[in-house]
Amino acid sequence: MTAAAQIVMPKLGLTMTEGVVVEWKAQPGQQVAEGDVLFVVETDKIANEVEAPRSGVIGEILVDIGATVPVGTVLARWRDEGSAPPPKPAAAPVPAARSPAPPPAPSAPAPQSGRHIATPLARRLAREFGVDLATVRGSGPRGRIKAADVRHASASAEPRPVEPAPVPAGAGPVEALSHVQAAVARRMTAAKQEIPHFYLATEAEVSELLALQERLRALPDCPRLTLTHWLLAATGRALAELPEFDKVWAEGGVRRLGGTDVGVAVDGERGLFAPVLRGAGRLGVAQIAGRAEPLIERARAGRPLPEDGGGGALTVSNVGRHPVTYLTPIVNPGQAAILGVGRVRDVFRPDADGKPLLKRELGLVLACDHRVLNGTDGAALLGRIVSLIEAPLRLVAPPV
Amino acid sequence: MARNAKGGDAASAADRDVELLELYRRMLIVRRAEERLSQMFADGEVPGFIHLSIGQEAVPVGVCAALRLEDTLASNHRGHGHALAKGLDLERFFLEVMGRAEGVCGGRGGSMHIADMGVGMLGANGIVGAGLPIAAGSALAHQVRRTGGVAVAFFGDGAMAEGTLHETLNLAALWHLPMLFVCEDNGWGEFSPTSRQFTGDLIALAGAFGIDAATVDGNDVAAVARAASKVVAAARDGCPQVLRCVTNRVHGHYEGDPQRYRDPADLETLPNHDPLRRCAAKLGADDVAKVTAEVEDRIAAAVAAARAGTEPDIARARADVYSPCEAAHG
Amino acid sequence: MAETRFGKAIGQALADAMRDDPDVVLFGEDVAVPGGPFGVTRGLLDAFGPERVRDTPISEATIVGAAVGAAIGGLKPVVEIMFMDFCGIAMDAIVNQAAKARFMFGGQCSVPMVLRTPHGAGVGAGPQHSQCLEAWFAHIPGLRVVCPSNAADAYGLLRTAIDHPDPVIFVENKSLYAAKGDLPENAGPIPLGRLRVAREGADVTVVAYGAAVGTALTAADALAADGVSAEVLDLRSIQPWDEAGVLASLAKTHRLVVVHEAVEAFGVGAEIAARMADVGFDELDAPIVRVGAPFMPVAFAPNVEAAYLPGAAQVAAAVRRTLE
Repeated sequence: MTAAAQIVMPKLGLTMTEGVVVEWKAQPGQQVAEGDVLFVVETDKIANEVEAPRSGVIGEILVDIGATVPVGTVLARWRDEGSAPPPKPAAAPVPAARSPAPPPAPSAPAPQSGRHIATPLARRLAREFGVDLATVRGSGPRGRIKAADVRHASASAEPRPVEPAPVPAGAGPVEALSHVQAAVARRMTAAKQEIPHFYLATEAEVSELLALQERLRALPDCPRLTLTHWLLAATGRALAELPEFDKVWAEGGVRRLGGTDVGVAVDGERGLFAPVLRGAGRLGVAQIAGRAEPLIERARAGRPLPEDGGGGALTVSNVGRHPVTYLTPIVNPGQAAILGVGRVRDVFRPDADGKPLLKRELGLVLACDHRVLNGTDGAALLGRIVSLIEAPLRLVAPPV
Repeated sequence: MARNAKGGDAASAADRDVELLELYRRMLIVRRAEERLSQMFADGEVPGFIHLSIGQEAVPVGVCAALRLEDTLASNHRGHGHALAKGLDLERFFLEVMGRAEGVCGGRGGSMHIADMGVGMLGANGIVGAGLPIAAGSALAHQVRRTGGVAVAFFGDGAMAEGTLHETLNLAALWHLPMLFVCEDNGWGEFSPTSRQFTGDLIALAGAFGIDAATVDGNDVAAVARAASKVVAAARDGCPQVLRCVTNRVHGHYEGDPQRYRDPADLETLPNHDPLRRCAAKLGADDVAKVTAEVEDRIAAAVAAARAGTEPDIARARADVYSPCEAAHG
Repeated sequence: MAETRFGKAIGQALADAMRDDPDVVLFGEDVAVPGGPFGVTRGLLDAFGPERVRDTPISEATIVGAAVGAAIGGLKPVVEIMFMDFCGIAMDAIVNQAAKARFMFGGQCSVPMVLRTPHGAGVGAGPQHSQCLEAWFAHIPGLRVVCPSNAADAYGLLRTAIDHPDPVIFVENKSLYAAKGDLPENAGPIPLGRLRVAREGADVTVVAYGAAVGTALTAADALAADGVSAEVLDLRSIQPWDEAGVLASLAKTHRLVVVHEAVEAFGVGAEIAARMADVGFDELDAPIVRVGAPFMPVAFAPNVEAAYLPGAAQVAAAVRRTLE
């Protein structure tokens, strides 16, 4: 790659169209080395530190902190003394720098493109309260978000009173969140407020699955399998078999996906990530293990690749390492469902004769976006996932 | 004043010689200063517009010879002679016209707005006719405050069609202001002859307001000084006066004006009317040479000092928009 | 505390200033023997004599030009231009002479003069005797512009203006001359550049000056009946105007309406709105709304003139827009 003269808003995910520069880590005139963090970008999904693709001196910074700009917008320039700037890449015209999305036309309806019509005070309060304007309904003309709307949203999001309670003796100071943590907090708040959740809980019997896993692990070329891999396989396969449920809420309607992509929640060093395994429904469990592990590893280290995120209708969140029976999770924004997975428990169940029978059960809760899936949809999907888990042999090979 | 015009006694003739030499010296300061400015303008050393009064020096020098320090004058765009004749410091004059911080107006005014309140020079003025009411107001202050001072308005014949002249003549007569109207009648208003601009007659106009008016040879410094001492005295007594001084504008309306509108034959005759040449003819050659050397030294020193001046800064300039009270918004 | 008419308070300020300072002189058309077209200067000739209180010819350019010369010469002239519309003839003296002398002469002198002039429609004076032109003067560096709304302010602001080293354009709304108001016995000068909170409120800030303050207060009464609490700020002086005071109120109410009788376009309200949209950006919870006269001359016909003047209903409607 030739040294580009410009630093642009990177595309950090399949669905990313714009981002906010929330912090500049380098200043004009500063010498940076390849790999140094240049700035932090926040999208509606994640916060990401963007590293310098090369060494050099930062020239002009063109986009202020807080500005929302489309992908490809020139954010800053390299200052390369003595060398003529290389020609611009022959890509699509670069959007004008400095200007965030253009103001909506007077007749514009409530915005869909990420440009929220809000008063300056509402914007300031949203920043101060950590309220995502995307989650706020505006009560003003043209859906303009006013201060009162933000206060309302903030109050309903936070159980704490607006006036901070007296700090009890020995209580520590409030710690500032990292960008990733702050983004997660905002996204989760938005998801919990905006997505009408319903929940379906059940158990899956995994004795057979665990036995099969033992046998497969003994095979020479098999990658190390975990329950998470099976869950990804079962969920992906369920979506492949019931493609009508591979869909999400988008722009006031339902978008069909059909890719059988499945996310996996990872509690990493720098916060929560949910990288997405592409085409999980078309893979065997060993392939899934091979592909999921690097994905999970990157997320755990807090350095997901841009293409790791985005897409998928469903995520698997497995907390089974902990003594938890059920996890009732929050749907990731942009997806339609999430499967909460607890630990494997040994339980006695009555057999046909009413005698106790030892079973190994996994607690599953499927949280669904009711705008996309209704109760029977969710039950059908969860039922298919359970049946796949309980008949795991089908998951070993890719579907025919 | 011709040396042999009247056969006065030897002592008073000698006094008159000394006085004339002093008038010559003052005229030469104006002349050499403006010649120097002309050169510096051509060299790009003096920015902006400059309007030279070369050929007219006898008027400001003759009139100001009759003024006291506390007397005031309001000038116009062709005001270098008025400023220097009233006593504005030569060095601070050059500093100002060159736009330097140490200039008498801090480099804000330049040639067209030069002023020195310390010597009663209330300002050159970029607006034709605008100095007349200001002089009337100054005369009012002299009158109410009983300073004994006189205010003089210098204006060209180009200002005769401005309403402010007519209004100010009226007000001065009405209020018996200690005010002198001095018209430097050089025959031109900007690029057009006055004959194509004004059908009236200043002497008759003054008469219409009951104001005494006289015409004097504006190229004869002694005659101007003599007439001025008479009209200034009358004005000081609350009888406003008009003094019309007929003179010549040698250079263009402003520097760089090639005066294509003027008859070359007419321009060729101008040296015959030159007030300095006429004055020098009545003085001894040695005296003239000595004064010339002295004046040229002073000009050279002033220019050298002005060149060493510093550039003004905008913060100090902004601070003088208002008196140091409440900040204004802009 | 005595009840005094607005015009009389101005006359009182002139009289007290002349008594306190022999350099204060008064001149203008018909200000001496006739006592001024609105009777404001009545009695001053008798009190202070013909040297200090003078009728002038109808020569506006020279009246103001002479005031400049007199001010530079050590007097504190207070001149009257009979109607603000006539300032057009005197603009050179105001804009090129009075406003610039201090600056262009390098701070050698100041020009301590006051130009009193009435503005405003509502008295059937027609297109050339009714205009509110204060924005012209507020636009000129070097001038100060004052516009009182009541008798006490007129007194205090005029006392300050007369003693002020800079040229002050003192604008009197002619519809106020007969208005009565309290004038404290010990009334003193009121500083320029500080607004007065005419009415406290919480929901919206209404900035006004001159006669528009009364309009704004009437609107605030009507709004209060609907549960809207409007804070009315009387700017008192337009140049300088109390940016910090307006911002402080905006920071409380987060909504701003600016009212004046002058035409809305390119006016004082535009400047205030622009500044608040800048320095007060993050405080705004609604668009800033201006209320001013339509962009047309004042008509003679009483019904058209009445329709021209911005009224309390317009102010209330503007306030409601900010509450949408």
